[in-house]
Amino acid sequence: MTQSMMINGTKHEITVDGDMPLLWFLRDELEFTGTKFGCGKGLCGACTVHVNGQATRSCVTPVSSVINKKITTIEGLSENGDHALQKAWLNNNVPQCGYCQAGQIMNAASLLAVNATPTIKEIETSMQGNICRCGTYQRITKAIAEAADTLSKEA
Amino acid sequence: MSNSNVSRRHFLKVAGIATGGLCISVAFPSNVLAEKGIIEDNGSELNAFIHLDENGDTTIYCGRCEMGQGISTALPSAVADEMEADWQRVTVKQGDADEKFGPQSTGGSASIRKMYQPMREAGAKAKIMLIAAAAKVWKTSPENCFAQSHFVINKLNQQKLGFGELASIAKSMPIPNKVTLKKKSEFNYIGKKLARHDQNEVVVGKRTYGVDTKLPGLKYAAMIHCPVLGGSIKSVDKTQALKMKGVTDVIEIPRFDVPFGSIGGVAVVANNSWTAQQAVEKLKVEWDLGENAVYNTKEYKQQLVANVEKPATLAKERGNVHRALKKAKHKHKATYTGGHLSHSPMEPNASVVWVQKDSCEVWASTQSPADIQKVLGQYLNRKPKDVVVHVAMAGGAFGRKFKCDYVHEAAVISEKTGAPIQLIWSREEDMRTGYYHSINAQHIEASMDDQGNVTGWLHRAAFPSIPTLFDPSLVRAPKGALNAISNHLFGVQSIRAESGDAKAHTRIGWYRAVNAIFYGFAFSTFADELAYKAGKDPLTFVNQLFDNNKKKKQKKDIKRIKAVLALVAEKSNWHNRESLPEGQGIGLAVHYSFKSFVAMAVHVEVKDDNIKVLNVDCAIDCGQILNIDGATAQMEGAVVMGMSLALSTEITFRDGAVVNSNFHDYPVMRITDMPNVRVHITDSDKKPTGLGEPGVAPFAPALSNAVFAASGKRYRDLPFKPMAV
Repeated sequence: MTQSMMINGTKHEITVDGDMPLLWFLRDELEFTGTKFGCGKGLCGACTVHVNGQATRSCVTPVSSVINKKITTIEGLSENGDHALQKAWLNNNVPQCGYCQAGQIMNAASLLAVNATPTIKEIETSMQGNICRCGTYQRITKAIAEAADTLSKEA
Repeated sequence: MSNSNVSRRHFLKVAGIATGGLCISVAFPSNVLAEKGIIEDNGSELNAFIHLDENGDTTIYCGRCEMGQGISTALPSAVADEMEADWQRVTVKQGDADEKFGPQSTGGSASIRKMYQPMREAGAKAKIMLIAAAAKVWKTSPENCFAQSHFVINKLNQQKLGFGELASIAKSMPIPNKVTLKKKSEFNYIGKKLARHDQNEVVVGKRTYGVDTKLPGLKYAAMIHCPVLGGSIKSVDKTQALKMKGVTDVIEIPRFDVPFGSIGGVAVVANNSWTAQQAVEKLKVEWDLGENAVYNTKEYKQQLVANVEKPATLAKERGNVHRALKKAKHKHKATYTGGHLSHSPMEPNASVVWVQKDSCEVWASTQSPADIQKVLGQYLNRKPKDVVVHVAMAGGAFGRKFKCDYVHEAAVISEKTGAPIQLIWSREEDMRTGYYHSINAQHIEASMDDQGNVTGWLHRAAFPSIPTLFDPSLVRAPKGALNAISNHLFGVQSIRAESGDAKAHTRIGWYRAVNAIFYGFAFSTFADELAYKAGKDPLTFVNQLFDNNKKKKQKKDIKRIKAVLALVAEKSNWHNRESLPEGQGIGLAVHYSFKSFVAMAVHVEVKDDNIKVLNVDCAIDCGQILNIDGATAQMEGAVVMGMSLALSTEITFRDGAVVNSNFHDYPVMRITDMPNVRVHITDSDKKPTGLGEPGVAPFAPALSNAVFAASGKRYRDLPFKPMAV
C-alpha cells in the first residue's frame, strides 16, 4: 500500500525511498522550492517546515518519519500570505537576500503557536538555530515581537 | 520608425515579452557600447532598460546582479523616479548577460557609483519622449505638458493621457541627447524608504534563486572536489556509487587552469539531489595532492608574522621613516593578524547548465555573468556571447559568486551527459572549496613627538593576494595592493609601506570589504594604542592625526571622515563613558574604503574574558543615498559580518586541505549575539559611493578598542576567539 503525507492540506503519496530527507522530497520531487537547502545537517534552519505544527529541520527528517503527518511549508503558512508574521516581515522590510527567511518565518510561527507573548530573550533563544548571513537579526526580532503583539490584540 | 520596430521585435524576442510598447535603452561611456541614441538598432544589439506596455505596465531591467544588497530596487526606482512612473506599476526584472546593460559584474561596491547616472538618464529620456508624444496628440508644445505618476498632463486644460496610451507614439519620438535630471526636492523615490521590490514573494516562498531552477528533463548532480589547490585525481572507484538506484553517471572533472575554472573533482549525476549526494559519499577517490599539501595555516601565519617583523620589500615611501624612528623619543610597535574567511552565503554554490551541440544555456546565482560567458566559452571553445546566461537572484554571495567554478563544473557534466544539469554543492564542499579572504599579518612601528604628533609610520603587510589568481608565481602582494597604506588619511610626517613575502597556497578571492578588513583593523587599533601611549583621549588623538594631514586634495575627505567619527562619538555617549559600569567600555574606529567614510562606536561588556557586544553606533557618509532603508539594512548586515570575523570565524588548513566543514565549526554569528545596532546616515548631495562593503571594516578595530577600554586586554589577532578545529 502506498504511503502518504499531508502537505499544505493536500495528500501527497510518497514516491521516494524512505530515507530521503523531507527537504529533497519537497524540492526535487514536488517542486516546492520555498523550503531551502542551507547546510544539510540541521545547523542553519533554512529548511524549517512544520510537522504537525512543530518547527522541524526538513534536511535531517527522513520522509519515513513523517508518514501520515501534516506538513506545512512556507507556501502553506497562510492562505493569502497574510499571516501576522508575514505582514510584520513586510512592515519591517526584513529580507535582504531572503534565502533564509522562509525558515526564519516557519520557526517563528512555531514559537508563537506555543508562546503567544514571548519576551525578546525568548524570541532570540528560540531563533538561535536559524542563521542569516546577511545579518537581518535585529529586524527579525522586531518583526516577531510585532507579530506577537498583533496576534495578542486579535485574540 | 522601421528601425525602432526592428528593435522592438528583437527586444521582445530577447526578453520573452508578448506585448508591444516602448523600449528605452541608454548609451554608456564605454568603448564596448558606442554612443547611440535610444530606440536605435545597429542590427545586432539593443540597449534596453525600460519596457512600457500599452496598458501602462512598466518593466524596468536591472543589469547589475542582485544578491540581497538591494540593487534591483535601488537602481530601477531611480529610473522610475526620473521617468515619473508610478512604482506600483513597475515590475523589476533581472537582465540576462548582455552588453546592452553595461558592466554587469557586481562587486567593489560600485553598482550605484557606476550606474546611477546612466540609469537616471534612461528614465529622464523616456519621460521626455512620453511628453513629446502627448504634445503631438494635443497639438501643443511639450513645454505645456508635464509628467506625473504615470500620466502626462496638459497644463493649459488639465487633460491627461496615461503612459500606456502614449507608449506606441512615444517610441517614434526623437531621442533627446541631453536631459536635465531632477532636483533632490523633486524626488519621489530616490532617498526615500522604499521596500524591496520582491519581498512579497520572499515571505511566501515564491522568490526563486539559482538553486531553485527547474527544467524538464533536469538531472541532479553533486560532487567532491580535490581538497588541495593544484592537486588532481589519481584514481576513482565508481563501483559502489554506480550501483545506487537512480545514479546515471559518474563524471571526472579535471582541474581547469583558467581564473575561475574548476579546482577539479568528481561528480555524480542522479534523478534527484539526495541520491547524488549519497552516491558521492560512496566514491573512492585517490588524489595526487600536489605541492600545496604542505599548507598549514597555523605555521603559515607564524611565518607571515616573521616576514613583517623584519625588513620587507618596499612598496612606497614618503619622507624618511627610518630617520624619524631613530630620532623619536616616543615609539610603539605592534603586530596584527587575521585568518582566512569563507563567504558561506546561505545558498551554497548552485547552477543549472545545459550544453547542447549548438547552444549553451546557464541559470545561475552569480555576481559576474560575463565571467561565466568567458570561462564557459574557453572551456567549450565557443564565443562568450554564444553562452546564454540567465542571472538568478543569489541567496547571498559576499564576493564568492563572482567566481564561476561551480558553473563551469555544471557545464562539464552537461557536456558529457547531454542533459540539463543542476549542480548544487553541499555546505561542506562550499566551505572547503572557496576563494578565501587572505590570511594576513601586519606590523606597524610608529614614532611620536611630545605633543602626540606621529612623525613616522612604518607599515609592513604580508598576505597572499587576489592577483595570485591570475599569476600564481607572485611571492608577495604587489605594490598596488598596499596603496591603502600610503594613501591613508591619517596625517603622519613620514610613511613607509612594505610588502612581506606571502606565496598563495589556496585560491584567494574578494570577500565583502576585501583588504579593508585588515587595513581598517590595523589602522584604527594601532591609533588607539598610540593614543594611550601618548596619554590622550583616543578621539582627540585621532582627530589630531587627521588634522595633521595637510594635503590639499584630501582636505574635503578629512572633513567628512571626522564628521562621521564625531557623529558616532555623540550617539554612543562617548563623552560620558566614564559613567559606564565596571567592565564596560566603548571603542571607536573609522575607515575610508570604497570611496565612503564609515565610523563605528562599539559598546561592550567584558566579564571573565567573555565579550558581550551591547550597542553599535554606525555612521556612514557615502554621498547621496538612493534608498534610506536599504542603506540602513546594509550597515546592519555589515555589523553582523564584521562581528563574525572579529570574534569567531576562521578557515583553517591542515596538510593543504580545509579542516572546517559546516556551521558547527565555522561559527557565524547568530541572533543571540545580536547587539542593538543604530545606523546614522549622512544626508549628502555628493556623488553616491560604496555602501555594501565599507561598513564591515571598522567593526573589528572598534571592538578591540572597546574591549581594551573595558578590561585592559588588547586583541590584535582576528578572530579574537577562534574555535579549535
